[in-house]
Amino acid sequence: MAASAQAIDRIAAAPAMALLDDAAELARFTRWLPARDGQRTGESSLRIGGMHCAACAGLIEAALRRVDGVVDARVSAAAQSATVQWDATRTRPSALVRAIEQAGYSALPDTAAGARALRLKESRAAVWRLFVAAFCAMQVMMLATPSYISGPGELAPDLKQLLDWGSWLLALPVLLFAAAPFFTGAWRSVRVGRIGMDVPVALGIGVAFLASSGAAFAPGGLFGTEVYFDSLTMFVSFLLGGRYLEMRARHRAAVALEDSVGRLPETAWRECADGSVEAVSVLRLQRGDTVRVAAGQAFAADGVLLRGATRVDESLLSGESVPVDKGVGAALAAGSMNLDAPVVMRVERVGADTRFEAIVALMREARTQRPAMLRSADRWAAPFLWSVLLLAAGAAAVWSVIDPSRAVWVAVSVLIVTCPCALSLAVPSALLSATAAMARRGVLLRQAVDRLEAIDGLARMDTLFIDKTGTLTQKESGGVQMIRVDDGAHWSEATLRGRAASLAAWSTHPVARALAADRAGDATAWRDVRELPGQGLEARDPDGTRWQLGRCAAATLDERGIASIAVDAWLSCDGQPLAGFRFAESLRADAAAAVAALQRDGVRVALLSGDTPARVERIGRLLGLTDCRGGLAPDAKLAAVRAAQARGERVAMIGDGINDAPVLAQADTSLAMGEGAQIARAQADGVLVSNALHDVVRARALARRSLRVMRQNLVWAAAYNAACVPLALLGWLPPWAAGLGMATSSLVVVLNSLRLAR
Amino acid sequence: MDILYLLIPLSTVLVLGIIGVFGWALHGGQFDDLEQHGAQILQADAGSVDPCQGP
Repeated sequence: MAASAQAIDRIAAAPAMALLDDAAELARFTRWLPARDGQRTGESSLRIGGMHCAACAGLIEAALRRVDGVVDARVSAAAQSATVQWDATRTRPSALVRAIEQAGYSALPDTAAGARALRLKESRAAVWRLFVAAFCAMQVMMLATPSYISGPGELAPDLKQLLDWGSWLLALPVLLFAAAPFFTGAWRSVRVGRIGMDVPVALGIGVAFLASSGAAFAPGGLFGTEVYFDSLTMFVSFLLGGRYLEMRARHRAAVALEDSVGRLPETAWRECADGSVEAVSVLRLQRGDTVRVAAGQAFAADGVLLRGATRVDESLLSGESVPVDKGVGAALAAGSMNLDAPVVMRVERVGADTRFEAIVALMREARTQRPAMLRSADRWAAPFLWSVLLLAAGAAAVWSVIDPSRAVWVAVSVLIVTCPCALSLAVPSALLSATAAMARRGVLLRQAVDRLEAIDGLARMDTLFIDKTGTLTQKESGGVQMIRVDDGAHWSEATLRGRAASLAAWSTHPVARALAADRAGDATAWRDVRELPGQGLEARDPDGTRWQLGRCAAATLDERGIASIAVDAWLSCDGQPLAGFRFAESLRADAAAAVAALQRDGVRVALLSGDTPARVERIGRLLGLTDCRGGLAPDAKLAAVRAAQARGERVAMIGDGINDAPVLAQADTSLAMGEGAQIARAQADGVLVSNALHDVVRARALARRSLRVMRQNLVWAAAYNAACVPLALLGWLPPWAAGLGMATSSLVVVLNSLRLAR
Repeated sequence: MDILYLLIPLSTVLVLGIIGVFGWALHGGQFDDLEQHGAQILQADAGSVDPCQGP
């Protein structure tokens, strides 16, 4: 769902840019500075795309400062964002965006400025803790060196005592400040009565510090004379180092997510009093507005259905996956999906319930995802952690009989060395960096799906079904060719084109969009508009005549002797075709290369299309595909996918339209085009943000590498724990070696995962 | 070697001092972006010159 905000419909882009200046949209990324001498100064945050080095920041700043009315501009290369102060009387945000675009970069309103500030704070705190721990550990190491290298009796007892006190003083900030997250984490899990990973760690640190303090201040007492402040501080700094790297990976994933959710304002189509339709920002919608919602789109606000009848997918809200029938007067909920037919609704409630709030919530979820992963790790980790505690206690008991002076240290070693950090990081860290890397390469995995499954499916697919129109090909708007098949007496050419355009404006299908973009539609007040997936639009004009735009019954075409004319859509009146529309259709630039690469990779690629078999054949020949099936209704597509699955193949599907949505849900792995219908994007596991098919090839390679890295991580972590626990129990592993081993194993896992993010 | 009894406590205090200086720099934002300021010098119109650095 997070990705669905991304697609900026080509048609919607133009009004959306102007909507940037709308005060309601402005408030999302601009704050007003206290007025001086009556001047209104706004401070806007913009997210910059296309910056590849630090020097770009200066170029963008210069471009912004040249705009009349810009008071100040600051661009941060690291955050890829700009903060611009501008005079409200002399310029507008859209002018700023245009200036940045003219400089060769892209700019979008930055609504995530708050999240970034939070990340900065978190990252500073982490660096600060890590520095305190690492720097103190180095100094403690220095103070500990004499006792390691001196022979018996060489070190004066009072000097040794002084060194120990110095170590104690330097270990204090590590324990009280740097290691505080472990203690709070342990306390939190103890308080709720569950055992967490922080418990043995905190116990190990605490026992080691207390015992060492005892040895430092009362040498020869209960804890002997050995101090282990050096092991303790090193252990804490290695642990913090691992967590820091992990936090970096998490932040990078969040940034990648924000980049793709950055968007132009969401547009709603509001009907004016005179029946015309205008594009307005969703934020501008008010109670009582009438809004047009095309099939495949989400409702922008809560409201009541005024005209038309449709089925609505409310699974986001209620979890009910069966679509609900809605007639005139039925209540519609914001965020639910219009499945069948374009309808007109009256807005009743706006604001916090809109789809964007859902997306914001998803982003918040992405940021807090680690705890969720940790929670699931904790479930299976609990028995493990209990046995660690028992083992440590048992080892201490046995060793207190054999050699009481070593009992505490063996227990500490066991506690530290068995810390299952590496094991619990193995899969989540790889998934996190794989997701981030995919997002950077243009494939956005949705939050709701099981990412492990999606990556697994992507890596192991045998068969890839591709939809043709809108996925492999794109309609070129402009140059719509109209072929008239009526008698030419009743309708003028302009009327037919206007009719078709105004009817097409009700749909989001690529053909309809191209038709609607070609020219302005006439002001026909359509009634009972329905969109039949794979068939087209059907509506009645004010006189009650039935019009259709889309497919035409084969029998009718045969009867009229026009079946051989290949067109993309027929405009029919009362079942009789009046005119056909044909578009220049071109393969996407990278389609041929992407399909060839997938076939080389051993994937069987097949075309599934609702278009006429002849045209599907032609595209298939261009791509060198043998399996091209045209003229398929949505259920026939579904049957094809099910048949392949029944043969035991792992099926992937790429599509974009409303008619692909069921197939996308059925396939083992599915990807939707970024500019496709919202419902297709909502059903798919992932979204191709940039609509480039080559991203699939790269995502597949990445998915394979991810699986390999996960396996390596698991094997490494399991082997490490299996090898070290016996050593620690036998007393052959001093605490410093245990700390080093544990931290290294976590670091190896995290670094191994980070290879994916490159 | 008696000087060690002075130097060891002194070095410990010094370490704590250095940590304090680093904390001040970190929280002042000096480590937030390590690359941009290095590139700034390469720009011809790099904005205003620090008045403390002379004309």
